[in-house]
Amino acid sequence: MSSSSSQVAAPTRLSRVDFATMAITFFSLGVTLQVLLIDNGTSSTRALVASVVIFSATSQFAYLAVRDGGGGDWAAIAAGWVVATRFGILAVSLSSRLPQGFWRRAAASINAFDPNVAVAVQQTTPWEVEREFWRTTAGMMLGWFSGLAVGTLLGNVLGDTQRLGLDAIFPAALLAIIGNLLRRRDGFIAGIAGAAICLVLLPIVPAGLPIIVSVFGVAISLIMVRVPGEPRTRRSESASDGEQS
Amino acid sequence: MTTLSIVMLTIAAWGQRLVGAFLIGPWLEKRPILARAAGLIPAAVVMAVIVQLTVARGSSLVVDERLAGMSVAAVLVWRRAPFIVVVLAAAVVTASFRALVG
Repeated sequence: MSSSSSQVAAPTRLSRVDFATMAITFFSLGVTLQVLLIDNGTSSTRALVASVVIFSATSQFAYLAVRDGGGGDWAAIAAGWVVATRFGILAVSLSSRLPQGFWRRAAASINAFDPNVAVAVQQTTPWEVEREFWRTTAGMMLGWFSGLAVGTLLGNVLGDTQRLGLDAIFPAALLAIIGNLLRRRDGFIAGIAGAAICLVLLPIVPAGLPIIVSVFGVAISLIMVRVPGEPRTRRSESASDGEQS
Repeated sequence: MTTLSIVMLTIAAWGQRLVGAFLIGPWLEKRPILARAAGLIPAAVVMAVIVQLTVARGSSLVVDERLAGMSVAAVLVWRRAPFIVVVLAAAVVTASFRALVG
């Protein structure tokens, strides 16, 4: 471990340990989601169907957050949509790296998640990209579907979920999912700005709206953080703090 | 979850990926600033959802045990702890505070 500038978050090639970590992560995510959905009053069959077809824990978490906050169905759906833009962005970075062909690109794109795209885009040839993508995806799916099954069973057994602190699992899971993005300076500022916007608006506007408006946190980050190479960049290399604008 | 929400969120999660891969992707390639902005959306929006879940009860702000659980979770995420550890710690800390207070 010499002082190289390596700070790669995802493994380059998926070892057996990485595969297991991936599966365990999605297993816990699946369990958490099912327990929370059932606790929220969704029947276990409906919860299972929802998680299998939507296949997006973050959108479902966002939906539940707004409903819990007293928001209507459409406001909650809108929040889920905004959160799911993340998948569109992941598909953008994955798709162009894959081998040519509409169907193989479509099949991979609709399975784009943070970890499998992170591993895939580090490969060199399109065929390696595709192979590592599907290997990671297999690990995720193994964990996800078995997690859903276990969570559905547990959801009916657990009594008072508040007493068990399960309501805190929800935001903690979300934070862990976007952890790598928040480690980047621009990601961190966008995150803080989004959180601040939500905090200010929450008591004064209808439920659901604070989450949608928080998108403008991105603008604040773009203004405050300029990437090297962009026009009008004029800052010394030690640009760690002291932003005044 | 309502049937409407299941249908709409399915379209959101699957449709936005296809639109991203085949329409937005090629278009964004020529517009690096917008591509950067798009990449930052999750940070802002997901953090807003986290705020809602941590310090809100309905449409009023409250500080309770959840904030303690989340603070521990934040430190663990920063220290790159595994997902399962983050999630369990948040639950255990929140539950312990609840048991102590109430």
